[in-house]
Amino acid sequence: MTTSTTMVEVRGLAKQFKAANGTPFFAVKDVDLDIRKGEIYSLLGPNGAGKTTTISMIGGLIAPTRGDAKIGGYSITKQPLDAKRLLGVVPQEIALYPTLTARQNLEFFGRMYGMSGAALKSRVDEVLEFIDLTDKQNERVDKFSGGMKRRVNIGIGLLHKPQLMYMDEPTVGIDPQNRRRILDTVLRMRDEFGMTVLYTSHLMEEVQEISDRVGIMDHGEIMAIGTVGELIQKIGEEDMLIFRVGTQSVSSVQLERLKTVEGVTSVTYEQTAKAANGEGNGSLPIDGRVVARAKRGRQALPDLIGLANADGIEIQSVEVREPDLEAVFLSLTGRALRD
Amino acid sequence: MRSILNVALNDLRVIFRERASIILNLVIIPLVISFAAGGANSSMGSGGDTAVPDLIIDVIDASASAESAAFLDVVRSANENVLLCPLDNTADNLCVLPEGVTTVDETLAGTRLEDQTSLALILIPQDFSETLNAGTARVVYRSNEDASAPGYLLSAVEAAAQQIGGAVEARTIGLQVADDIEFLTFADEADRAAFGDQVYTRAAEIWATNPITVNATAGELVLESAAFNGFSQSFPGIATMYAMFAVFPVMVALIDERRYWTLQRLAMMPIRRSEILGGKLLARFLMGMIQYAIVFAVGLVIGVPLGNQPLATVLIMVSFVFCVTALALMVSTFVKSSQQASGISLFLSLTLAPLGGSWWPLDIVPSWMRMIGHVSPVAWAMDGYSKIIFSNGTLVDVLPMIGVLLGMGAVFFVIGVSRFKFE
Repeated sequence: MTTSTTMVEVRGLAKQFKAANGTPFFAVKDVDLDIRKGEIYSLLGPNGAGKTTTISMIGGLIAPTRGDAKIGGYSITKQPLDAKRLLGVVPQEIALYPTLTARQNLEFFGRMYGMSGAALKSRVDEVLEFIDLTDKQNERVDKFSGGMKRRVNIGIGLLHKPQLMYMDEPTVGIDPQNRRRILDTVLRMRDEFGMTVLYTSHLMEEVQEISDRVGIMDHGEIMAIGTVGELIQKIGEEDMLIFRVGTQSVSSVQLERLKTVEGVTSVTYEQTAKAANGEGNGSLPIDGRVVARAKRGRQALPDLIGLANADGIEIQSVEVREPDLEAVFLSLTGRALRD
Repeated sequence: MRSILNVALNDLRVIFRERASIILNLVIIPLVISFAAGGANSSMGSGGDTAVPDLIIDVIDASASAESAAFLDVVRSANENVLLCPLDNTADNLCVLPEGVTTVDETLAGTRLEDQTSLALILIPQDFSETLNAGTARVVYRSNEDASAPGYLLSAVEAAAQQIGGAVEARTIGLQVADDIEFLTFADEADRAAFGDQVYTRAAEIWATNPITVNATAGELVLESAAFNGFSQSFPGIATMYAMFAVFPVMVALIDERRYWTLQRLAMMPIRRSEILGGKLLARFLMGMIQYAIVFAVGLVIGVPLGNQPLATVLIMVSFVFCVTALALMVSTFVKSSQQASGISLFLSLTLAPLGGSWWPLDIVPSWMRMIGHVSPVAWAMDGYSKIIFSNGTLVDVLPMIGVLLGMGAVFFVIGVSRFKFE
């Protein structure tokens, strides 16, 4: 139910497509979510998880097969123009006219939001200043760097001072400096303008940094929703200790002995084939690793290393991973975000 | 409506950003080709630099009367390269008559039509003079089925018939009026006939020289046919082809905008999708009209005869550009990439233009080809322009062509809109 604090309400949203062979499949399966006013809500998931399809339905670009989404109480299927008036859009693609200047792009889209005359000019000036492109405003967009184009892309979404900003992977393909600038911009939208931001990304680090709440998505479904802390709690806040052991094999007896170290909850041995070295000897070398999970991983580390050495396990390197959204995703889906 | 204009103006701004290519594609190339094709078409009609006339018309004048001679004079004046055979045959046998033959009968005329030696046959019956006075005269005009005579020749023959018939009518009316006036009496029947001949001659003169009266319309037609040059064909023809070149890039633009995601961004704004699409199509429609305006304006400035029906001409342009804009929209819904769209756009332009008579008059192609040609909207537009330019057609005369173009456009538009996808 929409409340005065709810900006977006999604109920039973689903989208069916046809595969290349004609078989129908659901890219988004009955998604429910609520986004509160003034929060940064991120949808996190690997490519193909259904994030873009979900927000494209929320933004009124594609019609849902079933279900509905409301923006500020307006149904995107029944009152699309009212709902879209509250929405600013920053698509994943650089949705600009490349032969026009930054200013001309902003002015055109501003006019499409109903602005004109002095109000439009003044707002374009404000936005150019906000995205730090005032001095480049009269240059053609196709002469811009990727980061500058992304900033104009964001600027267009800001023109009509929307209540909800839709940002689909806005940092894709840009350098770390511009990425940092964009993430700061997202935070300023919330903190200075009180905007609600619906953000999608497959990059765990940025989602973890900026989000008030996160929805983890995979195979068209929301797997879990919560703050970063809440999601991490779900997997028990265990550290992951990874010991690389090369081509050695480790027996179950040895693993059982490692498990006796205080705080350790589980120990597993995994083997993966290394990339071919090109020498063509027929078989690929094995990269073995022992993965231990422990509540306080760093405390358990010396005992684990000592016991392994005593047991004849030659450790080549050690990595300690504190709990993060990557681990949450791994725990929820059984695979890594970047798979 | 405001959103439609905003989208259209933005698209025009994007198009006109590439000034050099716009000047080249919208002005220089169409005009150069119009001049080149005009020169070629003029040569086609006049035999080029050779002295051999192309327009051989066989004549069987069974009447051999003063009226039939006058009639043939009018036909002869239709075009300087009309050669009435065997009447106007030359010492070097430009009529291409068989050796020793000085007259043409129906059998020979039929053979000459069949082997395309002649373009047409005019058969004047024996009672032409009498029936002319009675108002029931008939002249048979037969053109070659496979390589028909240009349409303006038939128009010239029709005009000549009207002119002669009109003069005869004037004589009849003059005599009736004279008979009704009691104090005006003729000495004898010869005196009465001489009066009638005077009225006839005067009427024929007026008909040939006065461009204002209804009678003069026919006279003007003959004059214009004589003034026909290839530019009257090439300017509307090339303008029509280049109007397609100006409109068809909308296919690439729509696909590119989907690729750049500007179309999707617009679709997520608080405006109707019909306004977005309407604006995109309006921009390209205007490009087509601008193209037409440039070529026709230059044609008129340099004195190319392009008819004197501006409203009818503009309505043909509008309906044609609407039709091809709708066609482009429809085709764009079937193509997947801008490369495909670009190829199809070129293919359509270079197929529809010659097929529809943009490069040469459809009058010179076989009748079956002419029929196929009318699949192309270009043929309907060119029919309209020909009607206005060569036959003094009016808006009413070109309404059928306009109707067909609007009808075709409506079908393409409905299919295009129903299939168009923003995402």
